Amino acid sequence: MSKTKTFCELSDLQHYSQQLQEPAVAWQMRQQAWQATMTAPNPSFAKINYRPWANLQGQLTVASQAVPLPASTAQIAQVAGQPVQVRLSTEAQTAGVEVLDLVAAWQQWPDLMQQYFGQVMPWTSQQLAATHYATVNSGVVIRVPANTKLQAPLTWDFYQNGTGRQLNSQHVLLIAGADSEFSILENRRTLGSDQPSASIVEELVLLAGAKVRFAAIDQLSLPTYLARYARLATNARLDWALGIMNDGDVLADFNTDLNGQGSQSEVKAVAISTGRQNQGITTRITNYGQHTKANILQHGVILSDATLIFNGIGHIVKGARGSDSQQENRVLMLSRTARGDANPILLIDENDVRAGHAASVGRVNQEQMYYLMSRGLSKDLAERLVIRGFLGSVLSEIPAAEARQILTDTIERKLIDGQRHRDRAQ
Amino acid sequence: MTTLVINDLHVRIDDESGHKEILKGVNLTMKTGEIHAIMGPNGTGKSTLSETIMGNPRYQVTSGDILLDGQSLLDQPVDARARAGLFLAMQYPAEIMGVTNAEFMRAAINARRPDDDPISVRDFIKELDQNLALLDMNEAMAERYLNQGFSGGEKKRNEILQLLMIKPAFAILDEIDSGLDIDAMKVVAKGVNSMRGDNFGSLIITHYQRLLDYIEPDVVHVMMGGRIVKSGDAQLAKKLEAEGYTGLRDELGLDIKLTDEN
Repeated sequence: MSKTKTFCELSDLQHYSQQLQEPAVAWQMRQQAWQATMTAPNPSFAKINYRPWANLQGQLTVASQAVPLPASTAQIAQVAGQPVQVRLSTEAQTAGVEVLDLVAAWQQWPDLMQQYFGQVMPWTSQQLAATHYATVNSGVVIRVPANTKLQAPLTWDFYQNGTGRQLNSQHVLLIAGADSEFSILENRRTLGSDQPSASIVEELVLLAGAKVRFAAIDQLSLPTYLARYARLATNARLDWALGIMNDGDVLADFNTDLNGQGSQSEVKAVAISTGRQNQGITTRITNYGQHTKANILQHGVILSDATLIFNGIGHIVKGARGSDSQQENRVLMLSRTARGDANPILLIDENDVRAGHAASVGRVNQEQMYYLMSRGLSKDLAERLVIRGFLGSVLSEIPAAEARQILTDTIERKLIDGQRHRDRAQ
Repeated sequence: MTTLVINDLHVRIDDESGHKEILKGVNLTMKTGEIHAIMGPNGTGKSTLSETIMGNPRYQVTSGDILLDGQSLLDQPVDARARAGLFLAMQYPAEIMGVTNAEFMRAAINARRPDDDPISVRDFIKELDQNLALLDMNEAMAERYLNQGFSGGEKKRNEILQLLMIKPAFAILDEIDSGLDIDAMKVVAKGVNSMRGDNFGSLIITHYQRLLDYIEPDVVHVMMGGRIVKSGDAQLAKKLEAEGYTGLRDELGLDIKLTDEN
């Protein structure tokens, strides 16, 4: 396998680190990551060929001209490559939630950064991760103190910078303190339409007994490597609700490690690919601790010439007795030229466990279409209703009404765009 | 007044077993204000006729025409025919997960209105409640997913509920009585009768005369071997009930083998 040319020289990287006044430990990490980019293998995801799009491009410079942050009611907002804007709610402030820009976090929370940054996602094991850690040029670190219970979700809006050639390499690190309970509502979008590619890594650390509900709606248009990694301590619980509604090519790498005994995680994901878009989504949950519980439920729809691959990986390691790993991956194809796959992968190294999977790749049911159209609904509307029904079994499982509504609206928008694109092409 | 004309209609179905001509020259003229019934033995093309009028893509029209107020419907897809005024209460309605009954009916009503003038929620609910009451249906039915997990009887009532909400010019009821007990059949008949008037016509397809005791037809047609072989008034249905289809066939001197004949 031939290696692509490195994105920059080590001296450029050093210069950049000095401009940010990073501590020595942060610089060492960049340096090691940069070296790893030349030796680490490309990560491998079954049936997903991401090579044409996922290699990071762009220039590593401190932004000279800031792109204005779009008006946002989110508590945390950031354009990649620029400082974060924080406007915590009174509830979050009172509870002691703290948020720092990644650059400031290295200076003010060096111990915490050394303890957690780059620890959930192994940063030298594979090419894309190493590239991210070498180049990360923006990010945010969030600490939710132990025993904090938040009623309203923490909202954050993140934007890729698609204007100019600046590198988009953004990092989110969340530490959920022991026995904290809260939810997160994340929106990801792209500003501008130039096409450098982007790298996003999110690391979530859930300490013992923490319960977090994470809802995200991705509407990215740059080619992106999007990694969401989480690590759960004893009895922690993380429920993901992911709307993968990107317009660009995206390699999604979702990984949850159930380290602590009795921890559990559920991933509910819906995805739509339209036009000539490629989306490859690999969702892995690994049961390390005993009596841990994993559940993956992914439904996706493909229009036109697009591609959508779902890999679900349930891995129970030896010693994780009494654990459970379940998954369901389904793909619905709306055209003859759509490409899709749903691969359930179970890796079981322990006997005393329960595991199961279901998968399907199918086409829209013509009887259903005929029935709906026989009442006067146009083909496009009938199709959207059938799709909504197909995605609905995942959607209805999303507990937060607000997230569910936003996601429903986003699905509608994405489908209408996709149908318009298709109808023009015909 | 709206007129539906079926003119020398020949229809073929293409399936695994090859091509089969099912309708062999059907002629029929209906006007709004009239209720027509089509009776006939099994396998004689009654359902093929109703599906073909509606525009089911599985059926191929090889010759003849279907005209609504003089306009041919043959090159119109099913949704356009529905918006032009046709409705088919199906024998086997599809089940659709994730779409509520109420949401579906509202979409169907709005599909007939201009984009910028959808039916108001209040008007919709008022009408829905009236029709649910008329059909002895529980209000919860409106919020259930479309036909999902409905019993056979519930599905049939739900077809009539849609009919009442959509108010088409012509409704074809394809064996709406099959699988219904007497009470449910009376409810269905009540629904259809409530639509009777100058702006509504219906084509009722049935095996049995019983439904016609509750919805009295103006015209009865008998179909055999892919054609309408006899038409008459409501008395014809009663005569058939007494004499059976073989009796009529022999009386007319037709050379047709009936599917269920021994």
